[in-house]
Amino acid sequence: MTDPVLTITDANLSLDGNAGRVDILHDISLTVRQGETLGLVGPSGSGKSSLLMLMGGLEQATSGRIMALGQDLTAMNEDQLARFRRDHMGVVFQSFHLIPTMTALENVATPLELAGVRDAFARAEAELRAVGLGDRINHYPSQMSGGEQQRVALARASAPRPRILLADEPTGNLDATNGAAIIDLLFDLRDRHGATLIMVTHASELAARCDRVVHLCDGRIDTLAKAAE
Amino acid sequence: MTLRIASRFALRELRGGLRGFRVFLACLALGVAAIAAVGTVRAGIEAGLTRDGAALLGGDAEVEFTYRFARDEELAFLNSIADRISETVDFRSMAVVDRDGTTERGLTQIRAVDDTYPLVGAVQLDPVMPLADALADQGGVMERVLADRLGLVPGDSFRLGEATFTLRAILERYPDNASAGFGLGPRTIVLTDALAGSGLIVEGTLFSTQYRLDLPEGADLAALEQQAEDQFRDAGLRWRDSRRGAGGAEQFVDRIGAFLILVGLSGLAVGGVGVSAAVRAYLAGKTSVIATLKTLGATRSTIFLTYFIQIGVLTLAGVTLGLILGAGLPVLLAPLIEARLPVPAVFTIYTAPLAEAAVYGVLAALIFTLWPLAKTEDIRAATLFRDAFAASRALPRATYLVVIAGLVALLVGAAVWFSGTVFLTLWTAGGITGSLLILILAAALIRWVARKSRLAARGNTALRMALGSIGARGGESTSVVLSLGLGLTVLAAVGQIDGNLRTAFADDLPAVAPSYFFVDIQPDQIAGFRDRLDQDEAVSRYDTAPMLRGIITQINGRPATEVAEGHWVVRGDRGVTYADAQPAGTEITAGAWWPAGYDGPPQISFAAEEAAEIGLQLGDTMTVNILGRDITGEVTSFRNVSWEDAGIGFVLAMNQSALQGAPHSWISTVYATPEAEAAILRDLATAYPNITAIRVRDAIDQVIALVGGLSAATRYGALITLVTGFLVLIGAAAAGERTRTYEAAVLKTLGASRRSILASFALRSALLGLAAGVVALGAGILGGWAVATFIMDTGYTVIWGNALLIIGGGIMASLLAGLAFALRPLAAKPARVLRARE
Repeated sequence: MTDPVLTITDANLSLDGNAGRVDILHDISLTVRQGETLGLVGPSGSGKSSLLMLMGGLEQATSGRIMALGQDLTAMNEDQLARFRRDHMGVVFQSFHLIPTMTALENVATPLELAGVRDAFARAEAELRAVGLGDRINHYPSQMSGGEQQRVALARASAPRPRILLADEPTGNLDATNGAAIIDLLFDLRDRHGATLIMVTHASELAARCDRVVHLCDGRIDTLAKAAE
Repeated sequence: MTLRIASRFALRELRGGLRGFRVFLACLALGVAAIAAVGTVRAGIEAGLTRDGAALLGGDAEVEFTYRFARDEELAFLNSIADRISETVDFRSMAVVDRDGTTERGLTQIRAVDDTYPLVGAVQLDPVMPLADALADQGGVMERVLADRLGLVPGDSFRLGEATFTLRAILERYPDNASAGFGLGPRTIVLTDALAGSGLIVEGTLFSTQYRLDLPEGADLAALEQQAEDQFRDAGLRWRDSRRGAGGAEQFVDRIGAFLILVGLSGLAVGGVGVSAAVRAYLAGKTSVIATLKTLGATRSTIFLTYFIQIGVLTLAGVTLGLILGAGLPVLLAPLIEARLPVPAVFTIYTAPLAEAAVYGVLAALIFTLWPLAKTEDIRAATLFRDAFAASRALPRATYLVVIAGLVALLVGAAVWFSGTVFLTLWTAGGITGSLLILILAAALIRWVARKSRLAARGNTALRMALGSIGARGGESTSVVLSLGLGLTVLAAVGQIDGNLRTAFADDLPAVAPSYFFVDIQPDQIAGFRDRLDQDEAVSRYDTAPMLRGIITQINGRPATEVAEGHWVVRGDRGVTYADAQPAGTEITAGAWWPAGYDGPPQISFAAEEAAEIGLQLGDTMTVNILGRDITGEVTSFRNVSWEDAGIGFVLAMNQSALQGAPHSWISTVYATPEAEAAILRDLATAYPNITAIRVRDAIDQVIALVGGLSAATRYGALITLVTGFLVLIGAAAAGERTRTYEAAVLKTLGASRRSILASFALRSALLGLAAGVVALGAGILGGWAVATFIMDTGYTVIWGNALLIIGGGIMASLLAGLAFALRPLAAKPARVLRARE
């Protein structure tokens, strides 16, 4: 059995909003191992994306502990978390979140530049070619289709060779054809770089391709669904 | 490393263009341009005054004495340092014309000259002729305004005192005319020798003598000034030279320039509100980019620097644009400005005022952008997933607050340094900061009231929607109230101060002021003068007092200027009087008046308020130099002296025996109804041709005209503030256009007519304008009251005409800006808008 890259122990998440305090995640404990592909599934509002955010240090747990690559994410401040993501994690969003004022090449080069990589642009270009966008490197997001934008986002997430890839419904905004192509690309990248892939999805066929699937319901891990599976 | 990456990111972000930054650039450029333009005009005038210093002065240097001619030792000194000397005598008198049995009189400022006048420059006459020819054989020249008033043309005769002159020409221009802007009488020039039999220049009359010096090439003016002052300062010698040839005019230009720049700073503060709003709106649109960068590993400092550099580049662009406008416009409009200025000016590019404007612009931009920039730290990466919980802190981190406070202190410090006036700058800075705070609180209050009133407005859809929009978080209410409010506050304060000054001078003062001031009444004339007034039934009251002029040189044996730290009573010569018994109506506040018939060591009664200001105590000694003779007395009493009613008031009075022997004249105030004034003047001036009458109403009119000019200049400065405020309004309205378009589309879908939607838009603009106007009026009235009470020491009444204008102006400005950006939302097709939003 491979080593754990991510261990979550008794994590809870509550957020204060204008309408009052909302409890989102309850007593989550979970271990993800090196090279594993984990699918997070569940109905809307079950806490999938929130759990992914906890794993990426994008959200701070109200209580509990989250260890990633041997480091305690709950003990880090915002800048330390940003640096940790820069060095070890890649994130893919449902809405792509490319920076509109940057070309495809610049978008992909951004995390490399932040990490101080010397040949950031050469590597970014190679990464874009690897996702089939060699002829679109100087295009801006507004000049590309949704599928192309998500490919750029994939290239951006994988360019720094992260050990953990987080994907939040990466095909949610795409049609079936583009969605399938993106998933192939995502698994291909995982295989080539040996990263651990954690993915939130609604699609059952996509969940079926994962090594393991965790079901969430009302902010808790649904052990019955897991057992039934 | 961080800086390099941030610079790269910033440049990429700037590719998005200047959309959303037009108001930012316009506000900053306008504020900087106004300050740079005022500074450039001021520098141009100062350069003109310096260039023409010698001509304005009438020589390389001038030595002046009050009340007397130079003594032998003084003349010897002047002869030792100058190649040539010209002596002039300056005093006020009445020019009198007898024609067809009637007599016309006009107050005139006489310059009696010698045959070397003018040493520098030339006198221009109409018809053209040499001055020497015009003045020969009891000839004289006078300014056109006086000649016209007296109905004189060249060849006619007029009298000065008891001497008769022939008007030879009209005085068009003369060189030593720097202070021509303010004087009670138009100028007449005659030869001093020709006044010998006039009875005008005798010991005790009010006159001053000037000795203009033509100095050798390369003379060290500073050293000569020092030498002259060391030898003759206490004898009443006053030195001026071509370095500051225009004297008071230069100081006046300097002061008014500094004041207008401070008014310009309020424009920059209004612009700052627009700048801040533009940055906030820009950063709001960048939330997802910032969150994405954070997800990709960017630290808070990288994010902050990325946007700080962008705003920095735009700030430099705005400041540069402002400097180009501020420096270029005065140069382009130089012929127009020069034609309207009473003093010479040299318009070119001056670096000092531009540097001053740039410093103000950069500091203001930093102060107003740092807050929204600091808030980028609060944008969390999780914002990409959910907005609902993206609540952030109300204030930026303490470090930023300290830096902002430091920058404000730096700006105020820079303003103090540049303007050279601590008092005025602190008042202005306090006024701007106080107004901003009041307006911020008022904006919050207005939003709260709007939210609470929505319930009451149920049933009136347009009003409910308007109130809802005013009370909404992140709406345009705060920007509108701040920008429009601050602009209107400045205008309201100027209007209230100006109105109160006008009331004080035009209405209140004439009611209590005398009709005439008579000066130069000789001691042997005073008894007869009083008799005439006693017998004149039209005279309701008159006061007389002996008057000498003296310089307070020492207090308790130390130089008075040191002890009193430059207080006005020790600057230059002052009127001094004497009395035996305590005059009726004198109110002693401390000590006791000397006994009647007292002839012991000199005693002094000093004005109580001024004594307190310079720290004078009973028992202190004071030395006064009168006509070159030092008289030291002991301060034995303080008394109230009222300056407000334009009556006779002397800071310093001595016992009779101390001053009686010195040459002096008397002055008198005469109170009568306006209808009786002409007859009184005729009677007294005929009986005593040497005395000079000053009609108080004329003096008041002069002051009103001067105040009017200052108010107009200030109002122009304040107008820039309002224009900037209007720009901010337009920016806020433009920023809200998308929201309004969506709102209109939804309302149309629900069945609202365009008329009711327009009514709602108009109502919200009008309500906000009204609120801004009312708050501004409150702040303006507070400012006007503070200035009237603490600075001018006068009463205060609200000027309601101006107040209504301010409120009306606020509503109109807000309506105009709001409705200009309501047309597109009204015209938009709902389906297209709603589909685009999905």
